[in-house]
Amino acid sequence: MSFSEVISQMQALLGAQHVLHRPEDLMLYEYDASVDKGMPGAVVFPSTTDEVAALVRLARKSGVSIVPRGAGTGLSGGSISRDQGIVIVFTRMNRILEIDVANRRAVVQPGVVNLDLSAAVARYGLYFAPDPSSQKACTIGGNVAENSGGPHTLAQGVTVNHVTGIEAVLGTGEVARFGGKCIDTYGYDLTGYFTGSEGTLGIVTEITVKLVRKAETVATLLAIYNTVDEGANTVVEITSEGITPTALEMLDGLTLRTVEEATHAGYPMDSGAVLLVELEGLREEVEEQAALVRGVCMRNGAREVRRAKNETERALLWKGRKNAFAAIGRLAPSYYTQDGVVPRSKIPQTLRYIAEVSKKYGLTIANIFHAGDGNMHPAILFDLRDPDQLKRTVAAGADILAYCVSLGGSITGEHGVGMEKNALMPLLFNETDLEVMHRLHDAFNPGVLNPQKVFPTPRSCRETGSASIPPELRSRP
Amino acid sequence: MNDQGVINGLEAELTGILGSENVMPCPSSLVIDGIHTQLCVEPGTTQEVADVLRVANDRKLTVIPAGGFTSQGYGNIPPRADLVLRTTRLSGIVHYDAGDLTIGVRAGTRVANVQNAVAEHRQVFAMEAPRASRATVGGALATASHGPRKHSAGGVREFCVGLEFVTGDGQIAKAGGRVVKNVAGYDLMKLLIGSHGTLGIITSANFRLMPAARRTATFLAEFKTIGEAIAFRERVMKSPLSPIFLELISPFTEGVSGQSPQAWTVAIKAGGSDAVLARYRGELGADLSRELRDAHEAALWSSVVEFPATMLQLNQRAMLLDVHMPAASVEAALTEAEKAATAHGFIFSAVGRAAVASLTLALNPLPGDPPSVTQYVNALSAIRAACPADGAVIVRNCPGEVKMHIEPWGSAREIESMRRVKRTLDPNDVLNRGRFLP
Repeated sequence: MSFSEVISQMQALLGAQHVLHRPEDLMLYEYDASVDKGMPGAVVFPSTTDEVAALVRLARKSGVSIVPRGAGTGLSGGSISRDQGIVIVFTRMNRILEIDVANRRAVVQPGVVNLDLSAAVARYGLYFAPDPSSQKACTIGGNVAENSGGPHTLAQGVTVNHVTGIEAVLGTGEVARFGGKCIDTYGYDLTGYFTGSEGTLGIVTEITVKLVRKAETVATLLAIYNTVDEGANTVVEITSEGITPTALEMLDGLTLRTVEEATHAGYPMDSGAVLLVELEGLREEVEEQAALVRGVCMRNGAREVRRAKNETERALLWKGRKNAFAAIGRLAPSYYTQDGVVPRSKIPQTLRYIAEVSKKYGLTIANIFHAGDGNMHPAILFDLRDPDQLKRTVAAGADILAYCVSLGGSITGEHGVGMEKNALMPLLFNETDLEVMHRLHDAFNPGVLNPQKVFPTPRSCRETGSASIPPELRSRP
Repeated sequence: MNDQGVINGLEAELTGILGSENVMPCPSSLVIDGIHTQLCVEPGTTQEVADVLRVANDRKLTVIPAGGFTSQGYGNIPPRADLVLRTTRLSGIVHYDAGDLTIGVRAGTRVANVQNAVAEHRQVFAMEAPRASRATVGGALATASHGPRKHSAGGVREFCVGLEFVTGDGQIAKAGGRVVKNVAGYDLMKLLIGSHGTLGIITSANFRLMPAARRTATFLAEFKTIGEAIAFRERVMKSPLSPIFLELISPFTEGVSGQSPQAWTVAIKAGGSDAVLARYRGELGADLSRELRDAHEAALWSSVVEFPATMLQLNQRAMLLDVHMPAASVEAALTEAEKAATAHGFIFSAVGRAAVASLTLALNPLPGDPPSVTQYVNALSAIRAACPADGAVIVRNCPGEVKMHIEPWGSAREIESMRRVKRTLDPNDVLNRGRFLP
C-alpha cells in the first residue's frame, strides 16, 4: 500500500479535516520539549477508541509506524516519529468521562490536560497528584506513557502509583481493558506494566486514576546555604529525622543566581545553594516538622531559613524552581539536561563529580534537582555552533550518567528513555535483561507502535555516522 | 521411560547441578491440595535456579516455586507437579542503605528478618505477611501479600523498586534498580508481583523503606452494624486526618486481640506527637470507644496481620477469600456476603483495609452440622455476585474437595493478554502449571 493510499484511507476513516499531511502542517509535530526532531508522514486526530484501533490495524496492514502524542512536552523524544510514520494526537479525546467522588477515582480520555483534571475535582477537595513541571500543558495519556514524576512525587509517588485501570489499543490492533477502580484485582498487573512503557506496547485510550485529598496545611520553607554540600547533607538528615517532605528541591549557586535575575524570587545572589522544602499534613504535624526541618537546616550550615507566610509567598518561592530551566536558557545558546538518579546519600559526591566533569570538559553545568529522591537534572551549557563544544557536551553528559549508574543509580528518573537514551540502556541492563523485555515488547507490539524507542537498536541513529549526538543537541535552537 | 525412570534421570541431572545435599525427596509437609511432588531442590544461587529451570524446561516438567510454604493454598489444584523449588538457601540482606531508605534482599529471606533489621534503625519495611518468621520476601511478592500498612504505604507494587528473577525457560533477568525513582526499561516488577510464581522465580528484590513514626496510638470505634462502621470510615476519610492504618474488623474474628466479639470495629493507627494524637482524639470525637498503646497496640495489629493464618488454624476447613473492590461497595458487598455465608452454614468474619477496600473474608463451618461441598460452592457464588465486576474474590484457602468444584480466581477478565505474558516468560508452562491460567 502506498503512503498516499494510507492517507486516503485515514481521511475516509476520520474525515479529511482530521488528517494532516502537507509538510507545512506537519512541522509543528516534528518536535517535543527536548527538541528531538523527526518529520512525521501524517498527523491524525481520532475521536474514539475504535478509530484508534482502526488506525493501528491500517498501520499494520501498510507497514507504516504509529506514534502516540499528547501535548508534545516530553523530554526524551517519545512522541516523535523516527521513520516518517503516523503521529496520533489526542486533542479530540480530551473528555473527563467520570468523576467518582465516593471512590476517589476519575475516568479520563488520554488528551485531558493534567492540571485540568485537578481543577475539575478541586471543588471536592481532591486533586490528581503527579505534577510534572509541564502540568499546565501535558496530557494524562502522556503521563501514563512516560510514568511522569514531578516535584511532589517524593511523598505521593509517580504516575504508576495513581493509575488503577486503562483501556489500550495494543500493537496488534486489539482493544484491551486492564484493571478498573480497585487498587488490586486478580492476575497479572497489566495496568502497572503498561504504565511507563513509552507507547511501545499499546496506545492508551482511557485511564482510571486515583484522586487524592488536599492536605489541611502546607508549609513551604527555603533554606539558603553557602555551599551545595551543606544543602545535600540537610536532605539526608531530614530523612533520618523521620520526616518525608512532599517536596525537596535544590538549586545550586549558578542556577539560583540565573533564576534570581530572571524571576526575582528573592534568592541571595551570593549564596551557594537553596533548598526548597514542602511539608503537608495536619496543622499540628506540619508545625512540628517545620520546626525540626528548620533545626536540621541550621545545624547543617544554613545561613537563613525562610518560610512562606501565605499563598503568594509560597508561589514566589516555587516560581524560582518552576522557571529554573527557562532561566537557564538565558545563560547559553543551548543546554543539555540529564535525568540521572543516585541514592540520595550520594548527592554530595555526585555534585562534586559533576563539578570535576565541568572542569574536565571546560563546560559550565547548572544543577537543579529533586534532592529528596536523588533525581539530578544537571544542565550542561554549550554553544551548538561550536562542534568541539558539542562533542564535549555529549561526552560530559554520558560521563555523568555513567557515574550515576556506578553509584547504583539510573540513567532516567522521570523523563523516559525514548530516542534520547536508548543507546545508554546497556549501562543498566545486560543483553539477557533486554532480551526478556524485548520478548514482552513483541508479545503486545509486533513492531508498528513507536519503533526505535527504549531499546538500543542497530537502527538507532546513535550508532550510525553523525551519530553519537543526541537528537536534542542537533536541533536545539 | 516410565515415571520412576524419568524421576531417577532427573534426580541425577539435578544432583549434578546442585550437589546431592540440595536435591531431596519432597517432605510430606509440602503437599498442595493433596498433590505429592516427588522431588524438592534448594538452589543456592540465581545461576543454579536458572540451571534447574532450564532442565525442567527442556524436559517440559512442572516446577512449584516455594518459600516458607505459608501461601500455597491459592490457585487451582496442580494438574501435575514434578519438582518443588525452594528458595530457602537464597537468603540474606544484600545491601541496606539506611541513609537512602533502600534495602536489597534475596528472595528466600524471611519477611520478619527484614522487618527487624530495619526496625533497629527506626525504619519500616512495609511488607506484611502472616507467619512472617516463615514467609519469605519472594513468596510475599509473588502473592502480593499485604496487611494494614497498605492503607498508607500501598501494596508491595508501590515500594518494590527492582527485581531479579528467572524466567520459566531459565533466563536470568532484572528490572528496575536500587534507587527510589527510575523509569528506565519496562516495569517488570508489576508483572511478577502477584503472579503467584507463574511467570518467573524471583531471586532477589530491592525496596524503598519508610521512616518509622516516633510515637503511635491506635483508636478503636465500635459499632453495632456495618452501616455505622462505614459511615464512620467516611467521616475519617473526609477529615484532614491521615492515619497509618484504617482497618475494618467484623464480629466473630476470634484471635484478633482486644476486639469486642460482637462489634464492627474501625481501628485507626496514627503516628505523631501528643499534639497530633490529641487532634485525632478531637476529630474522631464521641465515636471513639478505646485507645490502645504499646503492647496492646502491637498485639492488635499483629493479630490483624495473622488473621488468615489464625482462622485456618482454628479450622482447617475454613474457606478464606481475598476480596478487592471499590471503597463505596464495601458496605453492600459485606452485608450480602455475611447473609450468604450464614445461609449456607458458615460463621462469617472479615478483616481488612477499610478505605483501600482489600479484605480477607473467613467462612468458618458451623460446628455440629458442617456445610456440604455444594454449600461452599453456593456461598462463594453468592459472595461473588455481591461484589462489583472490576473487583476480585480470590479463594485463598478451601478444602481440597471443594476446590475441584470452584474457580479459585473467579474471573477471566484480561485473560488473552495474561496468556500472552505467560507464553512469553514461560513458553513450556513449567512454572505452577495450571494453577493460575487455564
